[in-house]
Amino acid sequence: MIKIERRDETSNLIYFLTPVLAIFLTLVTGAIIFYLLGFKPLEALKFFFITPISDLYGLSELLVKATPLCLIAIGLSFCFKSNNWNIGAEGQLTFGGIVGGGVALLFYNHEGFYVLPLIILAGAIGGMIFAMIPAILKIYFNTNEILVSLMLVYVSKLLLDYLVVGPWSNPEGFNFPETRQFSDSARLPILFEGLRIHAGIFIALVSVFLAWVILFKTYLGFQIKVSGLSLKTAKYAGFKGKTMILLVFMVSGACAGLAGVGEITGPIGQLHRMISPEYGFTAIIVAFLGRLNPVGIVFASLIVALTYLGAETAQIFLQVPKYTGQVFQGMILFFLLASDFLLFFKIKFLGFKKYEY
Amino acid sequence: MNTKLKVSKVSKIYPGCIANDNVSLNFKSGKIYALLGENGAGKSTLVKILSGVINPDQGQIFLNDKLLKLNSPKDAKNNNIGMVFQHFNLFETLSVFENLSIDSEKNNDQLRILVNNILKKYNFKIDLDVPILSLSAGQKQKVEIIRCLIRNPKVLIMDEPTSVLTEQETEDLFLSLKKFSKEGILIIYITHKLKEVLSLCDEVAVMRKGKVVSISRTIDEELSSLANKMIGESLNKIKKMTSNNFSEEQILTVSKLNFNSEDPYEVNLVDINFTLNKGECLGIAGISGNGQNELFQILSGETLSNNGSIKFRGKEISKLNPKERREYLMAFSPEDRISQAAVPSLKIYENVALNNFKTSNFFEKGLFNERKIKDHSKKILSNFSVNTDNVNLKSQFLSGGNLQKLILGRELITSPELLICFNPTWGLDVGAINYIHQTLVKINEQGKSIILISTDNDELLQLSDRISVINNGKLSKIMSADEVNPEKLGLLMGGGLVD
Repeated sequence: MIKIERRDETSNLIYFLTPVLAIFLTLVTGAIIFYLLGFKPLEALKFFFITPISDLYGLSELLVKATPLCLIAIGLSFCFKSNNWNIGAEGQLTFGGIVGGGVALLFYNHEGFYVLPLIILAGAIGGMIFAMIPAILKIYFNTNEILVSLMLVYVSKLLLDYLVVGPWSNPEGFNFPETRQFSDSARLPILFEGLRIHAGIFIALVSVFLAWVILFKTYLGFQIKVSGLSLKTAKYAGFKGKTMILLVFMVSGACAGLAGVGEITGPIGQLHRMISPEYGFTAIIVAFLGRLNPVGIVFASLIVALTYLGAETAQIFLQVPKYTGQVFQGMILFFLLASDFLLFFKIKFLGFKKYEY
Repeated sequence: MNTKLKVSKVSKIYPGCIANDNVSLNFKSGKIYALLGENGAGKSTLVKILSGVINPDQGQIFLNDKLLKLNSPKDAKNNNIGMVFQHFNLFETLSVFENLSIDSEKNNDQLRILVNNILKKYNFKIDLDVPILSLSAGQKQKVEIIRCLIRNPKVLIMDEPTSVLTEQETEDLFLSLKKFSKEGILIIYITHKLKEVLSLCDEVAVMRKGKVVSISRTIDEELSSLANKMIGESLNKIKKMTSNNFSEEQILTVSKLNFNSEDPYEVNLVDINFTLNKGECLGIAGISGNGQNELFQILSGETLSNNGSIKFRGKEISKLNPKERREYLMAFSPEDRISQAAVPSLKIYENVALNNFKTSNFFEKGLFNERKIKDHSKKILSNFSVNTDNVNLKSQFLSGGNLQKLILGRELITSPELLICFNPTWGLDVGAINYIHQTLVKINEQGKSIILISTDNDELLQLSDRISVINNGKLSKIMSADEVNPEKLGLLMGGGLVD
């Protein structure tokens, strides 16, 4: 007979080390998969994880990818910590991009210092409003936020599709599904000449710091923590549960919206169909890999960003599809959840016990 | 077909409590047997043993003189022992027929014929192809019964079956059970409702504190004699420790309170009215699951009542949440100390911070004032003799007694005018129980009031000035503790009336 029991206590050190273990197991399994595909495993892993960041350009690309992942995951940690399952960050990112992009297009022939802050603000508000939809439906109609937020992803993607093909498409763009290029005032400044790394990274870092203060030092953070651990206790303590649901979704949506607006005003510079390679979904993995802890999320976002880059180099050098990146992301999450299970539970092999009457 | 079920010298011991103490019972088919007792009397343990969920430490069970080895519920099923639990085990989104076919070896066509025959025979009106969630509680119970009938049971055990049923549904159920009994199915009916015992059953075994204290024919019994047996005579010996000199000033007035729950497993509260004086302890007795939980939550503000008023020190508070009620100097100690009153994985000082007042300044300008909370926590730990002074300790490492002291301390250190506690000594050792009882007496002496909701009658008689009994969501008239005797208490708890 096999019995599964909850462990009494897990140490904090191990709690933060299991993500490292999960990454290690992912690498081992990755090596095996590459071997089975007929590649030299170590060489393949080198192409995947080392080659992409062996020069300055690569490092800059790593940060370009890690920035939105980190921002979104920070926002998601507010939701996940309080037991609100916002799966629709991708949609909130897209909607933030649409609203921010709309403002940018409004000012396409304006120059001025005020343009960029306006766009960023609009993007954050856009994401926030979009995230409020599942929150409000959950509060008043007891709907499942997982389903609603997920379905809204497709709503916003289709809306973006319609806009870039129809009303917002570039009049001089030969019917390509994209908008005009934004004006220079609407672009996030590039940090180093010749590299794509942009000022969006500062927005991410500030949000990391703010999230840390809010989650660990404020009454709001305390309420979020307690609600996540025991809703019954939160109710007993008299926390305003409904207000909090709305609030964490708003924070989460605003972060995703900022990530969206950071992409279009940063590396992209216009609106088109593919403003995000599913950052909103991948950020869920980042949030959990980082243990919903702001500092952890910074490291996790760098690691997961690397799988995006690795997939691209692997595509070039090994001729494997770029979806290998998603395989690695999936494996990280799988091993993380599996090692978490063993972290919180122990399995006992009892053998068959005979009962005496 | 004659069935004989014999329970012989069965004992089951849990750490700190003897759930079944040398229980011997004989059942024969053709009769309906009642197993009567209040909470913790050992009924559920016995039923779990009969249905193979747990193993007894000692003793045997014989079915028709054959020794039964029940290592799992499956063994019970294979020996034709059927069981309908209080909480249904049905898949809500699957249809009735799908639910029935899950654990049946028959193929679907055979099963459908069989089920249709059962429906016809007992005049059950259930559509087999609708999902379970569209059924009423009574119909769901019928599905559970049909599930047993498919297997031609020799023994059918019903655990508190009427707690979720309406009156009409209860009558229907009784008719069906009588029919089953006539057909030779042995029926064991577990309940704490005295009237049901008299109206349905032929024989009654009364259990108290793990022992069978009486076996008799129901025609030889009446409500009051059963009540006496269920509660026991020991109560008379306990003297109340508090003095009766509480003031006439009313501190809490609850009037015309009603609560209709959307959850079928919750109890609706009906027309709750009472007043509480300053310095008084009002005890609320009752068998658990009769609305205590709901009453506690409505008094604490975790749930809001549909209508009615709660006036505390002259202010209407029925729409306030627990935090706002605390600001008016109410304090709450819920039954579930492990997962509601505190979070086990949080540190002691964090659990103290749950009770955050405007005046306590735990959070200055929204920021966590760790030092202040820790100082405050240390004060609680020493004032309420919790056996640690480490405020960074996770609460899960406190024993039940120390955790309860911490919770009571957290609630009481702000000197509230009213403490509402629900089973405050449940599961604690004698030392901790004494400490908590003394604390409660002290509060009364300081002129503060207490509402003590408890399923422990000894505790209620020890501490309360007046006592009311809650049964099926209704409060009985409030009696002075002196006039309460086991018979009255038992009658009221079992759903009877006293003058």
